[in-house]
Amino acid sequence: MAEQISPEQLKALQEKIKQMTPEELKEFQKKQCVFCQIVAGKIQAKKVYEDDKVVAILDINPVNPGHVLLLTKEHYSIMPQLPDDEVAHVFMAAKAISNSMLRSIDAQGTNIIVANGIAAGQRAQHFMAHIIPRKQNDGVNFVLPQKTMDEKEIEAISSKLISVLSGAGEKEEEKPAIQIAQEAKKESGEPKSGIDLDDISRLLGVK
Amino acid sequence: MAGKESCIVCQIIGNKIPSKRIYEDELVMAVLDVNGANPGHCFVMPKNHYPIIEHVPDVEIGRLFQVSNKISSAIFESLGAQGTNIFVANGIPAGQTVAHFTINVIPRKENDGINLQWQPKQLSEEEMSTVELKLKEQTKNIGFEKEEKKPRIHVPKPVVLSDEEEEYFTRQMRRLP
Repeated sequence: MAEQISPEQLKALQEKIKQMTPEELKEFQKKQCVFCQIVAGKIQAKKVYEDDKVVAILDINPVNPGHVLLLTKEHYSIMPQLPDDEVAHVFMAAKAISNSMLRSIDAQGTNIIVANGIAAGQRAQHFMAHIIPRKQNDGVNFVLPQKTMDEKEIEAISSKLISVLSGAGEKEEEKPAIQIAQEAKKESGEPKSGIDLDDISRLLGVK
Repeated sequence: MAGKESCIVCQIIGNKIPSKRIYEDELVMAVLDVNGANPGHCFVMPKNHYPIIEHVPDVEIGRLFQVSNKISSAIFESLGAQGTNIFVANGIPAGQTVAHFTINVIPRKENDGINLQWQPKQLSEEEMSTVELKLKEQTKNIGFEKEEKKPRIHVPKPVVLSDEEEEYFTRQMRRLP
């Protein structure tokens, strides 16, 4: 990991954060977040779309001209923190913006990319979807290698995922009926807390 | 042009090609990519045949990405991933290889050989403003299909793509050498 802060700094910070109420913590995160300030209009950005839940702005370091960052108005660090209705809304908006690119700026295709976590290429501590207009031979080269897994690994991974997914399905009532390919049962745990201390300390360590 | 009958994803959904299913409901199916970019790489697909995102109704978009998000959470929880990517390619210039809309959910670790980074292009203020105005003009028309109450039972409807719908993909296919 490129960004490191000293263990002392981290400890002091974690102590401080632990003493905050959830409301204070949320406020604290928002103040640290440049994208929350863009959403609030305190930092200038080129907005190309806005509704009650999302704001779309042009990326100032674009892959291609017209590269859009689609942000939730609410502060979430990563996508798993978003409630289902916001997930649906964000990507309906992403679809509409992608369509707009095909019609207005001669895009021949689009990529939609979300990065959750530094290892996935996430740079900002505010959830966003990148919508990237593409053209033939535009010099953009996303690399998704093909790796092989043996039968044992395939089995292990699919049963782990099925186990968690079927557990998640039982937890909530408004969910679609799930027919899982394999019978797998798991006690459903408490939903994860929306706030990750490491996330916050990493953020402060960097900026 | 290839329609539903010759679509490899439709054949996976119709069980004509074996796959490792990890999730299924009346609209969506998710399978493990056995030659994925990382172990645990999953494809999330609508059961109905739609070539690109533009053709997918809003209700199905909502469900597809909600399922993708759950799989992403499951990847964090059960596979010890350090991150996840949600990746969609619309159209051949964007890297789409199969004419059936698909979401990739990819587990990530440091130095795993995947590259979704880019060299930023430098645009002048004028170029930025031009593209801003063009996009803004178009996004004025954005509206969403009214969300229906979540259906539980799926009654498969025959998917008939209009010429116009297939045309986008076809046009790009012709460009290939």
